[in-house]
Amino acid sequence: MTEIPLNSVLWVGAILFVCGVICMTTKRNGIGVLMGVELVLNGANINFVAFSRYGKLGLDGQVIALFVIVLAAAEAAVAIAIALNFYNNHLTIDVDQGDTLRG
Amino acid sequence: MFSNLLEQLIAETTLTSLCHFVPELALSATIVVLLLLRLCWSIDRWIPAYVTALAGALVALGFSGFQLLNLLDGRGELSSARVEVNGGETSLRVASDVQTVRIVSGASDEVAINPGEIIVTVSGGDGAASVGAVLTFLNGDAAQKTLKESGQRLCAVMLAGSAETKLPKDGISATLESHQHFGGLLVFDQFGAFVRGLLALFLVLMIALTVLTGIPDAEDGPDFYTLLFGATIGMMLMASANHLLIFFLGIEMASVPSYVMVGFLKGRRESSEAAFKYVVYGAGAAGVMLYGISLLCGLLGTASIPEVSVQLGAMLSGDGFSTAEARTALLAVLMVFVGLAFKLSLVPFHFWCPDAFEGASAEVAGFLSVASKGAAFALLVRFSLALTGGIEVASDTLAGVGVAIGVIAALTVTFGNLAAYGQSNIKRLLAYSTIAHAGYMLMAVSALIVIQAAGSGVAGFDVAGNSERCVEGLLFYLFVYLFMNLGAFAVVALIRNETFSEDIDSYNGIGWECPVLCSCMAICMFSLVGLPPFGGFWGKLVIFASLFQAGHIHWFLWVLLVIAGLNTVFSLFYYVRVLKAMFIRPRAEGARRVDILPSMGNYALLIAIPVLLLGLLPNSVTELARTVSRALFE
Repeated sequence: MTEIPLNSVLWVGAILFVCGVICMTTKRNGIGVLMGVELVLNGANINFVAFSRYGKLGLDGQVIALFVIVLAAAEAAVAIAIALNFYNNHLTIDVDQGDTLRG
Repeated sequence: MFSNLLEQLIAETTLTSLCHFVPELALSATIVVLLLLRLCWSIDRWIPAYVTALAGALVALGFSGFQLLNLLDGRGELSSARVEVNGGETSLRVASDVQTVRIVSGASDEVAINPGEIIVTVSGGDGAASVGAVLTFLNGDAAQKTLKESGQRLCAVMLAGSAETKLPKDGISATLESHQHFGGLLVFDQFGAFVRGLLALFLVLMIALTVLTGIPDAEDGPDFYTLLFGATIGMMLMASANHLLIFFLGIEMASVPSYVMVGFLKGRRESSEAAFKYVVYGAGAAGVMLYGISLLCGLLGTASIPEVSVQLGAMLSGDGFSTAEARTALLAVLMVFVGLAFKLSLVPFHFWCPDAFEGASAEVAGFLSVASKGAAFALLVRFSLALTGGIEVASDTLAGVGVAIGVIAALTVTFGNLAAYGQSNIKRLLAYSTIAHAGYMLMAVSALIVIQAAGSGVAGFDVAGNSERCVEGLLFYLFVYLFMNLGAFAVVALIRNETFSEDIDSYNGIGWECPVLCSCMAICMFSLVGLPPFGGFWGKLVIFASLFQAGHIHWFLWVLLVIAGLNTVFSLFYYVRVLKAMFIRPRAEGARRVDILPSMGNYALLIAIPVLLLGLLPNSVTELARTVSRALFE
C-alpha cells in the first residue's frame, strides 16, 4: 500500500476550510452558518491529525484534535439553544431578519 | 515504566503546579457548590445564589492578590536551579534575579553572585551532606520566599537521588523549571498573576453590582453565576496560556458562556437577536483562528508558545517572508490575529459589539467590555512577544506587522469615536466607546511589536526599557479602565432600574434627582476622555509616551500618536452630550421622580473614588505595573 503524502491530506483540510468559509458567508439560514463553522473546525482537525502523523507535532496534534471535537460539541449545543431562542422571538432563523438592532 | 511516568506526572502536578492556580480552583469549586446547592437540596431557596458566588469570588480575589504580592515580594523568581557535583566540589547554580544574599548558616565556602545567577560552591566532605548544607543556607534566607520554596523542592530531589545512588562523583544535575506548569501548558509569572488579580477584582465588583440591580432573579441566579464564573476561569487561563491549545481553549471557554449571558434576558426580542448574532460571528472567528493555529503548529512542529517563538525566529532569520513556509506562517499568524481582533472588537471585526451590548443587560455588557478585553489583551501581548521573541537581528518585516496593527488601531479608534456621535442608546454609545478604547490599548501593542522587532537595529535605543514602558502603559490603562468603564455601565444599570429606559433622552434633568450617581458618571466619563486629574489621563499619557519612543524606529508611530491625540479631543463631545442631558436639560413634564437607595450611591462611589485616586496618586499602581512588565522582559 502506498503512503498518502502529507500534501494530499492538507488539501482535504484546506478544501473543507474553504467550503466552511463559503458556507458561513453565503448562507442566510442560521443553522447553515453553524454547519459552516463545523466544517471549518473539522478542516483544522484534519490538519492537526495530519501534522501529528507526518510532521514533528507528535501526540500534541491528536490531543488538540480531541479537545476541539469536545469543544465543537459544546459550542454547537449553546449555538442551537440560542438559535431556538431566536426562533421563538422572531419565528424564523434567517440571520438577515435580525434587524432590530442597528446604527 | 508507564505507571512510573504517571506517578511522576501526578506528583509534579499536585505538589508544584496546582498550588499556583488556586484562584481558578476556587472559582471551579464555587461553580460545583452552586450547582450542588440547586440540584440536591434546593438550598438556594433560602440562601441566595449571590452569597455563595460572592464568597467564592472573594476567596479567588484573596488568593490571587496573595500570590501576586508573594511574587512581587520574592523578587528572586527562579528560572532554573542546577546542582553540579565535581569530585569533592559541589556547586549549586541558581538562575534568578536576586541581587543580594544574606548568609545565615555558614555552610558554603564560596558564594558568587553574577547578574542573573547565584553560584554556591562547597568543597570537600560528602556530596549529599554538602548539598544539604547549601540548601539549608538557601532556606535560611527568609526574604526570598520563592527561592526557599524551590530550594526545598531541590532538596527533596537531591535526597531522593542520594538514597539510591549515593551521588555519583562525576556530576549530576537536576534542573527545575519553576514557572511553567502542567507540562508547559500554563505559565505562572507576574504578568499572568497581575491580570488574574484584575479579573478576580472585577468579578467581585460585578457580583456586587448584580446583587444591587437584581438582574439574575432568584430563580436564575445559580445559572447566571455559573456562566459568569466559567467565563472568568477561561479568561484567567487566557492570561496564563503557554501553549496554543490553552490559547484556543481559554478563548472559547470565555466566549461560550458570554454568548449565553448576552441572551440571558429571556423573551426579549433584542436580547435573542444580539445573542444569535454574537454566537454566529464568534463561532466563525473561532473557526478561522483554529485553522490558523493548526497551520502554525504544523509548520513549526510545536504548539508550545516559547518554542513557537524560537522556531519562528529561526524561520524568519534568513530571508524574512520570502520562502513559501514563511509566507504560510504569516498567513497563519494573520488568521490567529483575526480571532483575537474579534474578541477585542477591532475594526473590521467590530460589528457584533454594539448589537451585543445593546441587546444584553448593562451588567453583562460591562463584563464583556472590561473582563474579556483585559484577558484578550494579555493574550495578545503574550502572542506578540512570541512572534518577535525569537529573532536575533532587527527584522523590518515583523516591524511591518507592528505597523499594520498600528493602522488597525488608528482605524478602530477613529471609527469608534465617530460612530459614537449619532447614538441615542447609552449602551450603544458605550459600546462604540469600548471599541475606541480597545484601539488606544492596541496602539501600545503596536509600539511593542515595532520596538521588539526592529529596536535593536537603531543605535542607542533601549529595547527592553521601552518595551517595558509599552506593557506598563497597557497594564495601567487596563487597571483604570476596569474602574471607569464598570462605573459607567453600573450607573446605566442602576438608572435603568428606576426609569426603565436606556435612551440618552430619558436622562434629561436626572442629575439633580440622583446627584451621587450622576456625579460618579461624570467622573467616569471625564476619565474615559482622558482629562486630568482622573485616572484615564495617566493611562493615555503612558501609552502616548511609549508611542513617542517607538516613533524613533518607525515614523508611522508618530502619525499614530497624532491620530490618538486628535481622537482624544473628538471623544470629549459625545461623552459630554450624556452629561449635558443629565445636568443641563430640564426634566420631562410629569416624569416619575428617580429615587435610588443609598446603597446604590455608595456602590457608585466605591467605583468612582478609585478613578479619582488613580488620577491624583497614580504612583503606586504605575510602580506595580512597571515591576510586573519588567519581569516579562528578563
